Amino acid sequence: MKANNHILGVFDDPDAATTAVEQLVKNKIAIKDVFSPFPLEHVWKKLKMKTRIPYLTFTFGALGTASVYGFLYWSSVINYPLIFGGKPTNSLSFVVVMFVLTILSGVIFTLLTYLVREKLWPGKQVNLPDPRTMDDKFVIVIEKNKNMDEALTKKIDDLLKNSGAVEVNES
Amino acid sequence: MYNAKVRGVLIEGGKTYQDITRDVLRPLDTGKTPLWWWIASFFASAMLVWGVWGFYNTIVNGIGTWGLNNSVSWGWAIINFVWWIGIGHAGTAFSIFLLVLHQRWRTSINRAAEAMTIFAVMAAGMFPLIHMGRIWNGFFIMPYPNTRGPLWDNFNSPLFWDVVAISTYLTASFLFWYVGMMPDFATIREKTTSAIKKKVYGILSFGWLGSARGWLRFETAALLMGGLTAPLVVSVHSIVAMDFAAGVLPGWHSTIFPPFFVIGAIFSGFSMVLTLMIIVRKVYKYEDYVTKGHLDAIARILTFISLIMGVAYITEAFIAWYSDSPYEMYVFFKNRITGPYAFEFWAMISCNAIIPQLFWFKKIRKNITIVFIISIFINIGMWFERFVIVVTSLSKTWLPATWHTYHPTITEIAIYVGTLGFFFLGILLFLRLLPVMAISELKGILKETSSVKKINENESK
Repeated sequence: MKANNHILGVFDDPDAATTAVEQLVKNKIAIKDVFSPFPLEHVWKKLKMKTRIPYLTFTFGALGTASVYGFLYWSSVINYPLIFGGKPTNSLSFVVVMFVLTILSGVIFTLLTYLVREKLWPGKQVNLPDPRTMDDKFVIVIEKNKNMDEALTKKIDDLLKNSGAVEVNES
Repeated sequence: MYNAKVRGVLIEGGKTYQDITRDVLRPLDTGKTPLWWWIASFFASAMLVWGVWGFYNTIVNGIGTWGLNNSVSWGWAIINFVWWIGIGHAGTAFSIFLLVLHQRWRTSINRAAEAMTIFAVMAAGMFPLIHMGRIWNGFFIMPYPNTRGPLWDNFNSPLFWDVVAISTYLTASFLFWYVGMMPDFATIREKTTSAIKKKVYGILSFGWLGSARGWLRFETAALLMGGLTAPLVVSVHSIVAMDFAAGVLPGWHSTIFPPFFVIGAIFSGFSMVLTLMIIVRKVYKYEDYVTKGHLDAIARILTFISLIMGVAYITEAFIAWYSDSPYEMYVFFKNRITGPYAFEFWAMISCNAIIPQLFWFKKIRKNITIVFIISIFINIGMWFERFVIVVTSLSKTWLPATWHTYHPTITEIAIYVGTLGFFFLGILLFLRLLPVMAISELKGILKETSSVKKINENESK
């Protein structure tokens, strides 16, 4: 985050923070982000946030199933067909391995997608707007832009305070 | 919320968000390593060292150091393997089933239960590895291009399914556990005063921020990973059951095995959670988080599962009689209910199906000491169940000339004790170094659960 360019509304109550988000959205003030110690589902709804990870997970699972079946078919039917007890080489019991490995591919690739999309990696340096969001504070971050005059800044300040902000900081 | 009122207050003691952070961080950040930790770790390490001797003896001198014979070719190794896998179902059954079912009371226990899963599954995995004899050829179980044709694994064998299922289960459980800890690592990173801890937990936290979008993606990813892992709970132990059920031995060759094993696994897993959480809440003074209500809920689940276990035992015996197969009849009525293994059989019945029925009484559920003792009985009973299944069926098969009894040797006992040491050492390290409860999840339910308290107070007025 660039310095000296943000208004931070600090709350100590999740419901107050949610109300503030609602008020800001109503007044068409762009919220850059909301930092909280635990997920606030109402904030996602108010900010109309969506994620497409579920669709990707489904794709990974489907690809996993197909490729595992492909491997089993290739190894047991094409590459080295081994007949025992007159049973078919293309066996129904492949389902078990396919089932388990579908889950494995779904889990691993969902995690990787999440890490890539969120740009998280071990040892990444972070710059939190307020480290207290890791403990007990909820912070709404509003980016200042050129169009924002004194009056608007004042209005944002009031909105935050009226919704129950314990502090309004600038950074 | 719709389910909070039924359960009552989940976090007692009027905690604030700061209190939660402080309480969970206390053991790993500000507090000194307590004396009991050193003593317990010493005993666990001693057990582990003895187990290493057992491993060494087996590898150097071979499987002949075990008490196995031509008839009983699976002894303590498979018994303990299945026992550990069962315990390993705790975490995932607990945290993921309850996550998918939106049960909020999982929050203070899920982390520890997941840690249990991981160490228990690792302990379980040691038995098949050591039973191979030539452990350095262990990679033969994986399908890889080789110079023998290439000859692939038998993909229709339950033993190969086991390899796939258990390694998948371990991987998926570990990833789910780790992802859940990332926000808590970030909390430690911001709160700790030690530079080294800041660095280490900073690396572990992957640069977690806790922004709204980050939380949305985190929750979605975690729920998906959990939802995907949930069926594994069913598949892993079904596959372990098929190791037996796909064989033709009387007492094993039965369609009841997969569901019976899955239920048994969840039973032993929950009881181990109960055993450990009663100790943890005591030594870490987490009575406000792992409340009597939590223990009560687990005890109720155990009562229900215990009934299912009882029905399964009766069904097995009934079907043995109803099938009119003399071999099945012999196994169940002459070699289990009566005969040389009657003690083990009745120990299993009383520990699994009868003693847990005491949980019907509220007084007993409220008495933590008795709950603890009963949970130990269930752990023992589930061990006997595996003993009964493995040994009674193998010891007396169709030809009386091949009948054999089985006694474990000191090496087998050492390996078993060693895995216990490994498990306890793992749990102790977890208790010392990682956040024992999910900080962010506890904070997430705090407001809801305190409002329940207010509602209750208003109603009583």
